[in-house]
Amino acid sequence: MLKLDKVTKVFGDIIAVDDISFDVSDGEFVFITGPSGSGKSTIIKLILRQIIPDSGEIILDGTNLASLKNKEIPKIRQKMGIVFQDFKMINERTLRENIEITLAVNKVPKNEWNDRVMHIAKLVGLEKRMDLFPVQLAGGELQRGALARALVGNPFLILADEPTGNLDWKTADEIMELFEKINNEGKTILMASHHLGIIEKHKKRVIELREGKVVADSAVTSGHSGKNDEKKSAKKEPAKPEDGKDLKKQ
Amino acid sequence: MNIHLKTAFNNIRRSPFQALAAVFVLFVTFFVVSVLVIFIYSSHQILKHYETRPQVIIFIKDNATISEVDALRSKLGGDLRLKKVNYVTKEQALEIYKKATKDNPMLSELVSPSVFPASLEFSVVDLSYAEPVISELKSESIVDEVGYTASLGGEETLTDVVARLRQIAYYIRLTGGIVVGFFLGTSLVLMVVIISMKMSVRKNEMEILDLIGATAGFIRAPVFLESLLYSVTGVLSGWFVSFLIFLYLTPSLTKYFQDIPILPSSTLALLGFFGILLLVELTVGLLLSLTGSVMAVARTRKRK
Repeated sequence: MLKLDKVTKVFGDIIAVDDISFDVSDGEFVFITGPSGSGKSTIIKLILRQIIPDSGEIILDGTNLASLKNKEIPKIRQKMGIVFQDFKMINERTLRENIEITLAVNKVPKNEWNDRVMHIAKLVGLEKRMDLFPVQLAGGELQRGALARALVGNPFLILADEPTGNLDWKTADEIMELFEKINNEGKTILMASHHLGIIEKHKKRVIELREGKVVADSAVTSGHSGKNDEKKSAKKEPAKPEDGKDLKKQ
Repeated sequence: MNIHLKTAFNNIRRSPFQALAAVFVLFVTFFVVSVLVIFIYSSHQILKHYETRPQVIIFIKDNATISEVDALRSKLGGDLRLKKVNYVTKEQALEIYKKATKDNPMLSELVSPSVFPASLEFSVVDLSYAEPVISELKSESIVDEVGYTASLGGEETLTDVVARLRQIAYYIRLTGGIVVGFFLGTSLVLMVVIISMKMSVRKNEMEILDLIGATAGFIRAPVFLESLLYSVTGVLSGWFVSFLIFLYLTPSLTKYFQDIPILPSSTLALLGFFGILLLVELTVGLLLSLTGSVMAVARTRKRK
């Protein structure tokens, strides 16, 4: 699904990403970890096509992102769901409108909006907060809202850049449970995080970066694919959200 | 409601004074545009009125035969420089005289048709043809006298009036063009400034939209709709106020200018005139908002 092949990105004298290669398969949950400045966010930005690699290829669902024309970028971004550390919610819109905007961008017919938004709201546990504005929500709720916005477009890849960075341990844990749940639904997740406690707890594939280079990849070193047993069984018999709807059927 | 329209309305609602400033400037612009268009139309009508009425008169010698007069008449009729060639018999000339002296019947009782010469009247396509045509006609054997029509006070008055009217019409068009250009330029700059200000506030929103895969058109749509709402409101109010003032002044204007049709003669023609004016102004407003929003988006993106 996602393949980075000898990708390098240089900012002035700083080599942010240095000849990195790795693959992410369908349904995988991959942590990218490492200290600040190791290149985690740069990788997310490269996949989002916010920046272009100086060399190497990034293949997402058969498309080389490096050679993508500007007008084709929105289309590829619509296939991804993005969650940021600072939530990136539109403060002038209610939570419902923040989620609906993804549907509008993805040109989903308006008569489907309410069902899809309420389904996602239930999944992230925010169905009673939908008409509140971001300033009226707590950090954990904002991050769940951001996750809902990322999910409502039914993306095949979720990119998360330090999604627990601004949250306390308990809230971060709740958010991670949600990511786990979504991964069990079959969604591929690529998460940049330096939260070691969380990474160790969730036992997924971990790609460790240092000074822009991959220094460890648990898929290579221990054969850990990132697809846990739970998920494998979920693929055969998908886990249902509370209201019984399958995310893939949205 | 459409999501872009809703966003546009919300943006207006959040900063009503900026919106009011934009609408007010556009109102003034389109009010001035409407008034100037009416002015230009009326000055053109006045000029046309003087240019197209009979301007040259040929007095025929008493001994001229009907066939000679007919020959001259058809010669004039075939001249492309001339139009509206009209033959006035001695009897018709007397009638005209009687009409002109109806307040003093004694004057008309004392004259007979034989006193008046028959004449040929015509107007020229362009007043510059008048002089050469007159000198050509003076050499005709049946022509007694040739000159400018006396209805406007004679040769000098007519040329003076038309020349002055042409000059006035030219200055109205020139000044109108400059004033309209100035107002449209001001409106455009103000619209770009106001939209840019609003977009700087919405920078975060635009960045988020960009990240979740919104196309440039999607991001631009509410901005364009917002400026379109300003333009449409400005156009409609400016046009409507000028229309009301015009309707209010119509009786006085008609009375003052009498037989000069400075305004469309029928109600239908008047509505048609104002309808076309509104359509043109709406098109200009549309172009203004399109240009304004494209410039504002480009400016904000450049800053990013």
